[in-house]
Amino acid sequence: MNPVLSARGVGFGYGDRDILRGVSVDLFPGEVTILLGPNGAGKSTLIRILSGILPPREGEVLMCGRPPGEFRRREMARLLSVVGQDPPVDFPMTVQAYVALGRFPHQGFFGGTSKEDLEQVERAMEKTELTGLRDRTLAEISAGERQRATVARAIAQGARVMLLDEPTAFLDIRHRVAFYEIVTQLKETCGIAALVASHDLSLCAEYGERIVLLSGGTVAAQGRPEEVLTPGNVHAAYGVAVACDRNPATGAIRVTPLRGMPTKN
Amino acid sequence: MTAGGKRSGAVFPVLAAALLGALVLSAATGPVSISPRAAFDAIFRGTDDTPGRVLLSLRLPRALLGALVGGALASSGVAFQALLRNPLADPYILGVSGGAAVGALTVALFLSADASPLLPLCAFGGAALAALAVFLLARRRSGVSPERLILMGVVVGAFLNAVIMLMVTLSPPGKIPGALYWLMGDLGLGTPRRVAVLFPYVALGTVLLYLLSRGLDLLLLGDHAAFQAGLSVERVKTATYLTASLLAGSVVAVSGLIGFVGLIVPHGARVLVGSGHRRLLPASFLLGGAFLVLSDTLARVASPAGELPVGAVTALAGAPFFLHLLRRNGGRS
Repeated sequence: MNPVLSARGVGFGYGDRDILRGVSVDLFPGEVTILLGPNGAGKSTLIRILSGILPPREGEVLMCGRPPGEFRRREMARLLSVVGQDPPVDFPMTVQAYVALGRFPHQGFFGGTSKEDLEQVERAMEKTELTGLRDRTLAEISAGERQRATVARAIAQGARVMLLDEPTAFLDIRHRVAFYEIVTQLKETCGIAALVASHDLSLCAEYGERIVLLSGGTVAAQGRPEEVLTPGNVHAAYGVAVACDRNPATGAIRVTPLRGMPTKN
Repeated sequence: MTAGGKRSGAVFPVLAAALLGALVLSAATGPVSISPRAAFDAIFRGTDDTPGRVLLSLRLPRALLGALVGGALASSGVAFQALLRNPLADPYILGVSGGAAVGALTVALFLSADASPLLPLCAFGGAALAALAVFLLARRRSGVSPERLILMGVVVGAFLNAVIMLMVTLSPPGKIPGALYWLMGDLGLGTPRRVAVLFPYVALGTVLLYLLSRGLDLLLLGDHAAFQAGLSVERVKTATYLTASLLAGSVVAVSGLIGFVGLIVPHGARVLVGSGHRRLLPASFLLGGAFLVLSDTLARVASPAGELPVGAVTALAGAPFFLHLLRRNGGRS
């Protein structure tokens, strides 16, 4: 199977400070890939490069085998949606209006809103449990609810590839689980490819087909959860001693931190 | 349902009625009293008497000019606010109006020709240059912070004010009082000819902005998110910046420096119709027109000794409002 989005030997940096070196990642349709790594490992930068905002200094990004620059913006946005770490919207905008902005690549610049647009927006809000908040403005809801609205906007965009930069950071456990269930559902019904940057090691082992562990700007390990989530890999990347076993209830890899001050690495 | 959400359909008829009411009030206010009958005769039957002439050559052009100027300033404010993702932006505060004034003065003082159609174009050039200067000065690699932008706007505005004073001082003596009064923001120069000169620029600018509505909605998300949502960010920003400068510049050319309309009115309009630009832009135009026409009427009757420049009235209302927004914004970030 061909990857739908891939980074080949990608390097990036500002001046002589390297942020990424020789990073190769492939995203496949119908697969959830988890992007792990300590703060500052380069996860957000990699997502920006994959989404076409930052041009890589070395290597290349290929979307369906072509460089992102060859696509028109709206064409690209129909293929790829991104939940980034964006600044807050300083204007009074309702949740529904915000989610509806995700439909832009399907609408004419000058055209109106179609029935299909309304349905997709409604469905995205139902999935993320936001229908009750539709008329509230973004300033009136909590950080977790705003994060769900951002995910809803990406879902409404209806793309085949989703890049999500720490989409569960502000969510409670209910909405964390719900998030991964939504992504799994989109994967199974629509065959989307998703890359989710996260710090939740056990939960992502439950839902991710593959894990990419980024450390110091390079890929430290990549593969199935049981291949990547080993005490050695986790300690090398995070400097934290952990125990890794199988969760008896689900069979997925479970990562348990052990007490003790993290070491420098 | 575009971005914005609030749906009450009655807002637009009410706003249109408010503008119409303001125009009627403005036309009816003044030392010469004009009966409704006389007004009707003058407008529809072409009766040529004193009240009719006052109405057709003084009051109505002045009121219509106020509506155009107020609407254009409010629309320009909406556009700059979306462009800079900054609810504090306004052509006057950003120094854009100052740039336009320098451009217009260059024509008015040194090339002569009263109410020349060239005037709005040169003012547009000055406005665009000032906006570009402020934006480049405020930009850093980490982006443009609202406070830094306002600061640069003030600095560039102060510099341009000095240039304006220098130009006025160097100009032929006979032209100085008129130029100073114009600078304070004045609709008293409203002649049918000026309304006709301004109209095409305002029409072009507001229609262009309206066509950019969807793009402006997405710009509110920030550059990265707008790009990822499928917007050609640079193209839309360039078009918005040029159009907003055109509106602000052409308005300054005929009415001088009228501040704060572009700041207050969009805030009020957002309360009424939300942030979606397909509703916000028309609502701001109507509200801005009504606001400036009323401010001008107030300016004409407020002082028994003579008229206040309308810019003084809008600044009296606008400066405290700006402070309020600045404090609220500062508390949040």
